[in-house]
This record gives sequence, C-alpha cells and structure tokens, in this order.
Amino acid sequence: MSEPLLQVENLHVDFQTYGGVVQAVRGVSFDVFAGQTLAIVGESGCGKSVTVQSLMGLIPMPPGRIHQGSARLRGQDILASKMIAGQDIRGSQISMIFQDPMTSLNPTMNVGSQIAETLEVHRGYSKSEAFARAIELLDMSKIPEAAKRAKQYPFEFSGGMLQRAMIAMAIACEPAILVADEPTTALDVTIQAQILDLLGDLQKETGMAIILITHDLGVVARMADEVMVMYAGEVVEKGSVDDIFYRSGHPYTQGLRQAMPTNNKSTEAEQTLVAIDGSPPDLFNPPRGCAYHPRCPYAMQVCAQQAPPTSILGPTHQTQCWLHHDMAGALPDGLVSGNEAGR
Amino acid sequence: MLKYFAKRIVLGLVTIWFIASATFFGMHAVPGDPLAGDKAMTAQIRANLEAKYGLDQPLGTQYLIYLGNIVQGDFGISYTQENRRVNDIIREHFPISATLGILAIVFAGLGGVLWGALTALYRNRWPDVVIMFLVILGISVPSFVVAAISQWSLVGANLAAGTTILPIGGWGTVWHMLVPALVLGLSTMAYLTRLMRSSMLEVVSTDYIRTAKAKGLPATQIFSRHQLRNAILPVVTVLGPAIAGITTGGFVVEIVFAIPGLGRYFVQAIQQLDYTVIMGTTVFYGAFLVFMVILVDLVYGLIDPRVRVEK
Repeated sequence: MSEPLLQVENLHVDFQTYGGVVQAVRGVSFDVFAGQTLAIVGESGCGKSVTVQSLMGLIPMPPGRIHQGSARLRGQDILASKMIAGQDIRGSQISMIFQDPMTSLNPTMNVGSQIAETLEVHRGYSKSEAFARAIELLDMSKIPEAAKRAKQYPFEFSGGMLQRAMIAMAIACEPAILVADEPTTALDVTIQAQILDLLGDLQKETGMAIILITHDLGVVARMADEVMVMYAGEVVEKGSVDDIFYRSGHPYTQGLRQAMPTNNKSTEAEQTLVAIDGSPPDLFNPPRGCAYHPRCPYAMQVCAQQAPPTSILGPTHQTQCWLHHDMAGALPDGLVSGNEAGR
Repeated sequence: MLKYFAKRIVLGLVTIWFIASATFFGMHAVPGDPLAGDKAMTAQIRANLEAKYGLDQPLGTQYLIYLGNIVQGDFGISYTQENRRVNDIIREHFPISATLGILAIVFAGLGGVLWGALTALYRNRWPDVVIMFLVILGISVPSFVVAAISQWSLVGANLAAGTTILPIGGWGTVWHMLVPALVLGLSTMAYLTRLMRSSMLEVVSTDYIRTAKAKGLPATQIFSRHQLRNAILPVVTVLGPAIAGITTGGFVVEIVFAIPGLGRYFVQAIQQLDYTVIMGTTVFYGAFLVFMVILVDLVYGLIDPRVRVEK
C-alpha cells in the first residue's frame, strides 16, 4: 500500500482531575490512507473520541495532556502545533463533524455564513465569493433550495439537514481527512442511511480519507475499509472489515459481534443476543495485564499479570490477546488463529 | 413582527395607565395634603385654594380629571413652586438626567461586557480574581459612598495638580458628566460583569465553539463572531431593568454632584406631597421605562434570529 496520509504512533492522552489522573488513551497507533475509511469502534468511554479530538487539538489543556506519542500528517508533526506553512490544518487538511448536529452550529449566525467562514480563513475568499461557494456546497450535500437555505438559521433546519450542513462545512476546503465522530448517532434510522450514503459519495468524488467513530457495527460493515477496535484506551484488534467481522481474533471483538442483532438467523448462535457482562474498567486505575481480562470468558492467569503481546494474524490483521500465544492451547469457538486466517 | 410590536405598545399603554392609577390613589392615601405647610391658613383661604386646585371635588372626579389631562399631555401646575408647570419642570430637567443616565448605561454596558468576557477567558487566573473582587465591591458599596469618595479623590487630585483636571460638581460640559456617570453606572456595571462572565463561561464550552475550533478559525474570530454575540444575549435582556435602576436611582448622584436633574424634583415632590409633580414625574419615568424595555426587545430581536421570527 502507498504511504499513509496520517500516522499516529503510541498516542497517550490523560486528564488530570481532582480524583486523580484518568488515562483516557493508552498507546494508540494507526495509519490512515487516502481514499480509505478507518472505523474506530468500541463502547462508550473507551477513548475513541479523545483519540481524534487530541489530533484536532480540541481537548482542553489543562486538564488534558498528550504525554507521549506522535501524529504526523504527510510526515509533519501535528501534535505540537496545528499550523503547517502558516495555515491551520484544521478545516483545511483535516476537518471534523460531530455527534449532535443540533448543538454543533452557532444559533445566531446563518448557515451559509458559517460554511463561508472556513473558506474566508483558509482560502482567502471574499465574503460574497465564499457565500456563493457555500451555496454550491450545500447543494452538493443534497440540501434542496440551497440558496434560500443558506440564509436561514440553524433552528430552521431539521437534524438531518444540519448534519448535511456540517458535512458541507467540513468538505469546504477539500480536506485530505474527514473525521466523523458518531455522525449518525443523534439521527433517526432513515436519515442515518442518507447521511452515510452522502459521506460515501463524497469520498468517491474527492478521494478523501474518513475516520469514522461509531459503536454501531452496522455502520462499520457498510462504510469501513479498515477497523480498529478499542477497549479501555487501547487498541485490542485491528484489521480489514472482513478480518474483524469474519475472522475476529479477540474475545472483545467477538463479544461485540454477538451483541449485534442480525436479520440472518440461520444458526442457533445468531438467534440469541449475548451481552458482554460487566462494564469497562475504571481508567483512574486500569487493571494490570490485559484490560479486558475481568470480563473475558476465556481469561487465563497470565492475562491478569502481563499485557498481551501483539499477535499478527494476517497481512493487515493484528490483535493483542494471550490466546494467540503458542503456550495458550486450542482457541475457543469463533476465534480465528493466524494460521486459519490465511484460508 | 409589526403585529408583535403593536401588541407590545398597547400593553405598554396599559402599564402606564396602571402606574398612573396606582400612584394617584397611593399618594391620596398618604395622610396630609399639599396645603398642609408651615404657614397656618384660615378656613376661608384653604377652601379657596382647594377650589382653585380642584381638591374639593370627590376623589373619583379628581381621578378622571387627572387622567383626562394626562392623556392630553398636561401634568398641571406645581403646588409648591408657584405657577410652575410640571411639563416645564420635566422639559428643563429631564434632558440632564437622561444624558447622565444614558452615559452611565453606556459605561455599564461596555464595561460589563468587556470585564465579563475578560474574566471568563482568564477564569481562575489573576485578572479574573482581581476583577471579581472589584465587582463584589461595586455591588456592595452604595452609590452615595462611591460618589462621596470619588468626589473627595477628585478634590485631592485637583489640589495635587494645582489646576482643575475635572470639575468636582455642577453641570455644563462633557467633563462634568464623566465622573458622575461612572459612579452612577458602577453597580450596574458590576452586575453586568457577573452576568457576562457566567454567560461567557457557558458559551465557551458549547458544541458550536468546538466546531469553530475544528474549522481552524483564529481565536480572535472565534471570540468576536461566535462567543461574544451569543454570550451578550442575557446582558441585553437585563438592560431594560438596568436602565430603570439607573434613571430612578440617579437622584443620589445628582445631589452629591450638584447636578440639576429631574431626580431631585422626583424625591422632593414626595416629601412635600406635591400631587401634580409626583404624578408628572412618576408617569413620565414610567412611560420612559416602558419605552426603553420595548426598545431593548427590538434590539434583542436584531441579535437573536430565534426571537425575530416569533409572531
């Protein structure tokens, strides 16, 4: 594969609070390639949003702190400063859309001007040029009567339309990477599908990379090329979308998959939904060894003592789990070893 | 929008009528009357005077006559200042009070917004601590104390400079207005600072400010276009009542700085039970405030589009 656009290595983010230090992200590494979609999945509080927000410089510091790791956009560091060649990369190279479109736009400014603002700052457009372009962008995001809508205010838009407007704003400067932090969580199901289609179409047209954060595996299956499963601030499994769905190597990924309802009820196992017992660990004081071991049905003694090594299961597929160690014996049902993965 | 304001104006007229009626019956309920002065007068003189001013009529009739006159814009003749029409008193002295009040409001509004935004941006650091300490002082110390202290400081400063930097009292030039307006606006400025600070803190942590940061806007633009306008809304809301506080509370400052404003007549008239002057000044101030509140609503609509569309 070609050179990655964005390389994140060993990122650690923590928050100093009165109660202690919350280790929200503990050593996350990933690459993002042009034209590809990377999905980051995991339950609430596992560090998905903190990871991308720290890349965007949206974490309030203090209390937040990036105390280790690096992130490079086309080889240039973006953690220390968001400016490359005198321009803020946010909005121009990397842009972001958020979970709740209803509160993500300024209520006292019309939608068109909010989109135009990005172009004025990054492209040096005049006010009227930028506004005209904003109307085109709204049109591209499939908002009917874009010229009229651009002059309206956020409270006159529905949730789905606001998310379209957010997308128009995010793609205004043709960024290389679009970060979508649970873009469809606050929307109803039919609107969700439309928004995902729109993102997919725009990706085909512009060739941008998408980092998609979600806890909806249905969205992952539909959108992602690559998937990164996070748990308690760490990456537990990483691979192509097929690796994750058909050849999961980590008990947590398996647990997530079993907790997902399907229409295809051919086998007994697929008819029952199995929840993962317990709740994610306290990140003030993460467990020793593998963070998942208190909830893992296959936990062994070693899991509580030492962090698992990275096991390579395939060319694009890796996981952090002791079960794949040579000394671990036979794998439980449903988990795939490195040897089988090649089939 | 027009319909909304027509409604507001009708409601405002009803408010003024209510103020006029309450004042009328309230002041007649107070024991004594404007003729009960130091000089003893014979029953005949008293009866003549009562007939002249219409005080011999039943209260209901007097009320209707007053109301009729007010509708025609005539507040009558003062009881205690011979042959002076209340309209003339207002015309001569209100512009002075209004100038002082408006200047005070401008000081209070600009200062409150500026200091409030500053304290919010420097939350829990030294500018915040220092300004919030001064704000507590500004709210707690009554205006006559501030007025006296500032006047005393002015005397000291003028003596030290050997010349008059700023006049210590009186009225006439812009230089006469500065210190009284500042003193008059001080407590309102302090109050607005607190309001602006909390409103700004709320805005700073909203999702749309995060969006603005994610767009890569420079901090100055985020402040001026996104934070200020949203944070200022609650401040604009309380400006109406704040104008009320400043104009009616102005008489203390007017007296300390020897300013010939309307406030003095407003207070004196009540002490002397000068019926026509009480009615005139109260109804006039009432109408002024109602007008100001409507004006503030209009401005609010200009700032916040969500209010603008409501029918």
